[in-house]
Amino acid sequence: MDPLQAIEQALSLAREHRERHVDVVLSRSESLGIRVCEGKVERVEQSTDLGLGLRVVQEGRTGLSFTERLTADTIEKAFLEARANAALLDPTEVVMNETAPGVPDPEVLELYNPALESLTAEDLTRFALEMEAEARRADHRVSTVTHSVARTGRNTYITASTHGVRYTQRSNSVGAGCGVLLESHGNRKSGSYGWSARVWDPAQAALVGREAAQRGGKLLGAKPIPGGKLPIVLDEFTAPALLSMYLGNFHAEAVQKGRSRLKGRLGELIASEDFTLTDDPHRVGAPGSRFLDAEGTPTRALNLIENGALTSFLYHIESARKENRASTGHAGRGYGGGIGTHSHNLVLPTGNHDLEALCALPERCLLVTELEGGSGCNPISGDISIGVQGFLMENGRSVQPVDSVTIAGNFYALLKSIRARGDRYQPHLSSRFIPALLVDGFTISG
Amino acid sequence: MLPEATVHDILTLGKSRGADFVEVYAEESHAATLELTDRKIDTVNSGVSFGVGVRLIFGDEAYYSYSSDPERDTLLALTDNMAASRATGAAPGTISPFRVETLQNRHPVREFPGGVSKEERVILLRRLDELTRNQGEGVRQVSGRLSEKERKIFIANSEGLWVEDSRQYARVALAAIAEKGDGPQVASESPGALGGYEFFRELDLDRLAEDTAASALRMADAGYIQGGVMPVVLGSGFGGVIFHEACGHPLETESVRKKASPFAGKLGQPVAQSILTAIDDGTLVNHWGSLNIDDEGMPAMRTVLIENGILKNYLSDRIGAAQVGVPRTGSGRRESYKYAPASRMRNTYIAPGPHTMEDMIASIDSGLYARKMGGGSVDPATGEFNFAVQEGYAIRKGKIAEPVRGATLIGKGFEVLPLISMIGSDLHLSAGMCGSVSGLVPTTVGQPSLKIDRILVGGR
Repeated sequence: MDPLQAIEQALSLAREHRERHVDVVLSRSESLGIRVCEGKVERVEQSTDLGLGLRVVQEGRTGLSFTERLTADTIEKAFLEARANAALLDPTEVVMNETAPGVPDPEVLELYNPALESLTAEDLTRFALEMEAEARRADHRVSTVTHSVARTGRNTYITASTHGVRYTQRSNSVGAGCGVLLESHGNRKSGSYGWSARVWDPAQAALVGREAAQRGGKLLGAKPIPGGKLPIVLDEFTAPALLSMYLGNFHAEAVQKGRSRLKGRLGELIASEDFTLTDDPHRVGAPGSRFLDAEGTPTRALNLIENGALTSFLYHIESARKENRASTGHAGRGYGGGIGTHSHNLVLPTGNHDLEALCALPERCLLVTELEGGSGCNPISGDISIGVQGFLMENGRSVQPVDSVTIAGNFYALLKSIRARGDRYQPHLSSRFIPALLVDGFTISG
Repeated sequence: MLPEATVHDILTLGKSRGADFVEVYAEESHAATLELTDRKIDTVNSGVSFGVGVRLIFGDEAYYSYSSDPERDTLLALTDNMAASRATGAAPGTISPFRVETLQNRHPVREFPGGVSKEERVILLRRLDELTRNQGEGVRQVSGRLSEKERKIFIANSEGLWVEDSRQYARVALAAIAEKGDGPQVASESPGALGGYEFFRELDLDRLAEDTAASALRMADAGYIQGGVMPVVLGSGFGGVIFHEACGHPLETESVRKKASPFAGKLGQPVAQSILTAIDDGTLVNHWGSLNIDDEGMPAMRTVLIENGILKNYLSDRIGAAQVGVPRTGSGRRESYKYAPASRMRNTYIAPGPHTMEDMIASIDSGLYARKMGGGSVDPATGEFNFAVQEGYAIRKGKIAEPVRGATLIGKGFEVLPLISMIGSDLHLSAGMCGSVSGLVPTTVGQPSLKIDRILVGGR
């Protein structure tokens, strides 16, 4: 069944069963990925994902269901299941938006580039082969290219409700990733790099392959440094990755359920005074941009931290009504799940230092270029304990590649101890616009 | 799940276009979830996943494509597209006649979920919430989730395989947040089984609530550990996640076939002390990581990975076995029809050894007892791993001392493995979800308590 027909059927069932408050999300994604190995194609994956999610609200009770099979029978079954599920819930504060807001055409957000539609498997294969070859050429110590993958994909996401909401947004992208293993004198080290964009650029193949090899090559021979306190610089890749683990603390839902230490701290200085963190849903080309959230609430830019002070949390309808206020437009939903809180594009303004200058500000520091998982990071307490790799820097120059160390600290302390920021964001498609950071107060164990 | 003629036509088309091997995988899953947070049932969700995946193998090259549309024309077009994107000069082949295999379910379901009302599940969740909150005033928040899934799968291939299987999963997740002044601490437990509703009925709710809340409460009192290299005793059960990540993944042919594993080329060589034996067993009855057949249709089996310190086997799927030159071990697994299969673990554990917990603790003057591990990750190519300790205690002068928080263990799997010098007899297994190239699959990790002579512990 055609996706729009499927949505109309679901809403028509709602009318038929006199359910006034029903909304539907539908997602359709298509992708093509090519993985090469040793100069030839190793794997080709082509996919079409399709799913429809239903939400029925009965006096504040929210029932959910989903189906990946879009036939009249399965949609009806899903609708009836959502109704039955609603009856089991405790009452919530959910009331659907009563009017369908008018919003600009989502195409102005430039999330979809029609030119990418002409990409072929041959284009991607050539890209992946060139990336692999360049990774090998870049460093003779590359013993294995563990992966060289190029892919493209597109997605259409539709939100509709019995209250007249109809919002369709489409996006697409192209990307690639390369990983290498380098070996020398009994040492082994991995290096990897990726690229994602909305404009096809075959010249990226050589750049990505070379960067993967160079990133691993620079770390080959790394060793621990003695434990103790040392300033650290998180580069423009690791800074957003580390901070992202803790951004759930700004979700009103987390605050209300005791999962955030920010409860009761609105207006307080929680960061250094030149720190302003904004969620920007209308940033052109940014993957998190949208005019309506998953509940049909209009989105708008929102400062979470302004000049160091905590100014707002992120709300969807349920969390907002608990505090007798309006949603900030931060509801997100995949077709298979329920409503959750989702930020759009988080923006921390850049500073004045390039990475080299940032590392030269302290006499000695640890430049962190790789984070090893996040399992030692506790989003609720804010504790940070994580293995890292990078470089010991003295007067802005690398004196030793470093591995087998951990850094330990706390997210809330980190916000107050950011001494300087880098002058650029990482260049790929991302909804996190967070530059490199120079931070004091971390303990290094090695 | 699919008409025989459709399957026949897909396989025939693939072979006629020069593929060495063609496979059709179809799946229909029914999933249901109930969640309780902040004393309220706040999510009740259910739904159907359905799709068909077609795989063509040309020599070393694998082509995989899937769709939620089961129509013959759609699936033939998808197969044709794959074949067209690979210009082959190979001669057309033919398919073997189907051999319909009837499986004996080795993992019985005694109570099918459909026979139990959702209201009963609500009562169970509320009971678990109450039991957990009753463990102490410091318990500030509790959340619980019941998940059930029935996966019906169908596999046919050009070698004549025609088999169907049904897998019923049940799992409960419980998390407690405790606070005693110095910030909230969270602890969680997530037992699960390849089985029916009887799993929930037979679960010791009191013990689950006590274990979860007690862990959070102890850590709420804890000070931060001072990091450094030290001996560590890893508690039984989920402590096995370190072996899973740091040794199990590099033993999958997915890593070995590219020689991107520290264990590549080391079959028959010592990789650990002689007290260590490690096994990956897909046949354990009703265990979370068990299977009747893998996702390539091969019967699940028990695979000894390391025996008395000697590396014996890798875990292999069809492609990995052929490329590495080892037998298939029934380890081809995938999250769903959205993934091509790859070699993956099932129930992986270190076998019991001769030591006692007391022996291990008494042998350490200053170190860490990691009673419960949190999650972690590994780079299979280098063996570099890191793991969080969910519940830890200092060891001083041969005795377990105060609780400590913030510990992370980091090292390299193949370097740490030979440093396991003592292994207890208290083997326990724990359910988890493992993410890798073929998606998230249910796996069990396990071990007895064991001692690692030295490892880097990150802390403050």
